[in-house]
Amino acid sequence: MGSLSVAVAAVNETELVTQAQRGDRNAFGELVCIHAQGVRNVIYRMCGNAQVAEDAAQETFIQAWLHLSSYRHETSLRNWLYRIAVNAAIDLLRKEKHILPHDFEDLPTIDSHPGPEALLSQTERTTLVQHTIISLPDASRAVLILREYEELSYHEIADTLEIPVGTVMSRLNYARKILKEKLEGSLLLQVEAEYVKAR
Amino acid sequence: MSKHVSEWLNAYHDGELRSNRLHHVETHLAECELCQAELESLESLSGLLQEVPTPKFTPVERFASQVNLRLPHKQTAISRRQILEISWWMIPVGLLAVWIFIGTSFFISDILSAAKYLGLLRGISDWMAFGPSNDIYLSATLSQLGLLSGNSLRWAESTEAFTRMSLPLISLQISIALLYLSWIAIWWTRHMRHQRQQPGQLLEG
Repeated sequence: MGSLSVAVAAVNETELVTQAQRGDRNAFGELVCIHAQGVRNVIYRMCGNAQVAEDAAQETFIQAWLHLSSYRHETSLRNWLYRIAVNAAIDLLRKEKHILPHDFEDLPTIDSHPGPEALLSQTERTTLVQHTIISLPDASRAVLILREYEELSYHEIADTLEIPVGTVMSRLNYARKILKEKLEGSLLLQVEAEYVKAR
Repeated sequence: MSKHVSEWLNAYHDGELRSNRLHHVETHLAECELCQAELESLESLSGLLQEVPTPKFTPVERFASQVNLRLPHKQTAISRRQILEISWWMIPVGLLAVWIFIGTSFFISDILSAAKYLGLLRGISDWMAFGPSNDIYLSATLSQLGLLSGNSLRWAESTEAFTRMSLPLISLQISIALLYLSWIAIWWTRHMRHQRQQPGQLLEG
């Protein structure tokens, strides 16, 4: 049943894309609704600023609208949009270096009822992790984000970024290695202890 | 104990290994504490990354409306681009049409000339057909100067007539072929540039 609904959704999306390619703005609007969250997430993970992610996501969809005629149905629309989104984020970071995350308000806490000490600790933790992610090279960061947050397979990442699967693996290994090195001294040991305890 | 499987742990952790490789890694992990620790470290890292939440974005419908307001009027742009695109693709079609027209014209002219030579076009104006006899000025001049006579004159007349008839056709066909090849070269350049400039293809490196 699940696979059937996925197939139906894919057919509907294909139909919407075809209509949008003919200039149907409403069909494109529906596509925006379907993919807005994913695109904004990817950009936010890439640049760490919610407002910038909103703006860049809008720009991503405008670019998609303008280049929709060059979109081919062999590629997943999501992957195609993610490709534009990743590049929009990278361009943005190159142009405006000051948008790196510095605002704790951008980072909501996970626990709905944390104590004051835990809240501070958690906020610091997420901020540190996010800063460390953003310090990664663009190419490795993009692969890491698509894998860890969007849960794309290696082949999907390769398709999205138009790189070989081997490159996906090497960039992912590199990104994780750097993250581990940078976080090892502080957070990772703590998290590992929590993880082992939870098991 | 088999060789460490560090290089495959990421793929194992991501569920990307299949068949023999998967079996090999699992077997090794069962007996290697070092690789087990590395895998745990990877799992912890993933857990840590998941702790970074996404912020509350604008509701999707509102976001879609904002995007819709910013969408340029694509139809005008498309129409202009379509005209350019159609014109571009009309170039080889036009060249082909010219080539067919020239070929047909020369073919008809040859038929009319042959018909005239056989006396089938008596009473019809000369402009409809032209034959080699009218165009062998150089051979006639050389003959009058006494430089050509007999067989050599006939050979020269035939060659000159053939050249006068065929040279324009060959020249035109070569020109058309060159134009067509130029079009293909430009098309190829545009195609390669377009592939490089497609959105989302800038990440490599």
